[in-house]
Amino acid sequence: MSKVLQITLGIITSIGGFLEIGSVITAAQAGAGFGYKLLWAILLGTLCLVFLVEMSGRLAAVSKHTIVEATRARFGFPFFFIVTIGMGIVAFLVLIAELGGIGLALQILTGIGFPWWAVPVSIVVWLLMWKGSFSLIENGASLLGLVTISFVVAAFKLHPDWSSAAHGLVPSLPGDDKAKYWFVAVSILGASISPYLMYFYSSGAVEDEWDETYIPINRVIAGIGMTFGGFLSMAVLVGAALFFYPKGIQIDKFEQASLLMTSALPKWGFFLFALSMLFACLGAALEISLAIAYFFAQGFGWNWSEDMNPSRDARFAFTYTIIILLAAVPLLLGIDPVKVTVISMALTSATLPLAIVPFLFLMNDPVYLGDHRNGWLSNTVVSVVILISFVLAIISIPLEFLGS
Amino acid sequence: MKVVHDVLDKELIDRDDEPIGRVDGLVMHVGERSQPRITHIAVGGTALWERVHPAFARLSKRLARIWGPKRTEQVRIPWSRVKTAGRDIKLDVEGKETGAIDWEIWISRHIIKRIPGAGGDEEDDGSQS
Repeated sequence: MSKVLQITLGIITSIGGFLEIGSVITAAQAGAGFGYKLLWAILLGTLCLVFLVEMSGRLAAVSKHTIVEATRARFGFPFFFIVTIGMGIVAFLVLIAELGGIGLALQILTGIGFPWWAVPVSIVVWLLMWKGSFSLIENGASLLGLVTISFVVAAFKLHPDWSSAAHGLVPSLPGDDKAKYWFVAVSILGASISPYLMYFYSSGAVEDEWDETYIPINRVIAGIGMTFGGFLSMAVLVGAALFFYPKGIQIDKFEQASLLMTSALPKWGFFLFALSMLFACLGAALEISLAIAYFFAQGFGWNWSEDMNPSRDARFAFTYTIIILLAAVPLLLGIDPVKVTVISMALTSATLPLAIVPFLFLMNDPVYLGDHRNGWLSNTVVSVVILISFVLAIISIPLEFLGS
Repeated sequence: MKVVHDVLDKELIDRDDEPIGRVDGLVMHVGERSQPRITHIAVGGTALWERVHPAFARLSKRLARIWGPKRTEQVRIPWSRVKTAGRDIKLDVEGKETGAIDWEIWISRHIIKRIPGAGGDEEDDGSQS
């Protein structure tokens, strides 16, 4: 494949794969509750994600090892075990949220309640994993995810006030409802900075056999792809700010979120919203299932590759099979996917140091990176954003649950 | 070479370039007069969980007795079979013969291959690329 084609494909998949239930719900809640005020949280989260994704690709290209492999080898099993518990619980909750998102999209399309969709959806996701190749999952799901660009169209159609939007990019203190404001900010940061994305991306780079010649390509893909992805989240927030904020509607149901699309695009909006959520959550569910299976396989030293037949990497295939089946259970019992989404995004923020701090140590280790170690800029940006997310998370999560 | 920094927890690669596990523990011989030296690499179950907490090791032992390939003794690979120890530990062994991938083979045979579409009907599991 030529480099230009690779870069283009990489950028397209990053954009198509960016939105998922977490980023849509948190951005919509932010816009509905606080107008443009929380745009800065998406900006900050996306900036940090650009650096983290670039680092994940660089580690894989230089050391031929994924983040998980290197974390276990560098820090030892007892520490790795703690990371596994934290990441495992959070990623599993996110998987439930994404499978639930697919179910909710099907619910608004068909009128059949999402618990009924839990089992069929899990089986389809599992089947794609079982029979599909890595590039099918990476490229196929993300190409379908390009339908999420319709959020941008919707936001433009609602005629945003650009200067107020620009003000939102600078953090400001909320007038009232402070606890809610910070909690939504934390959820947005958690939705943007997803560790599973890093595990998926670095494993993908190893699956595609990247070497040091990929460092510039990786930089372009991470920079442009994630930035445009961030614009999609911002479009959701802007759309919600224009439609819900003036009316004072808070979003806590999935169907409500579709209104921002139907008001902008009366004819197609409803279908575009349902399809956007369907494909966005499907892509994310596949990526998370893979990321969890990669995590265990790489941490314990099993054979792993999405391109192998399941019989050749049995423990890897067994892991995602069990995880996907288990994730269907709470949905079958009717747990609200929107609630799971909000909780899992906030928990992601709270557990970020567990995933990112060891990763920063690795990125500065000459054994793994040689001359391609992190510069001061990457170290500073990532440390500062992670610190902010963590501090805000441990303050605002208890407040949110005490308040409600 | 620093044993904990350079060896422990590294990936083990067998003769066919297949990953067969990680260095979960190291066995050391401490003689009366000789210097202590590493004799074996321990792989799997108890060696690993012992490092987190003995209770986990007991639990893992108990589970291994009722389910799985029912291997009772610890998997140990002689240090003499280590070819190179860099970012990974390359071994001059056949993965299958060490017992390190007993679980892989067991799960493949008893669970994965019974699901349609798992592929790979050949006799051996996970030792060729």
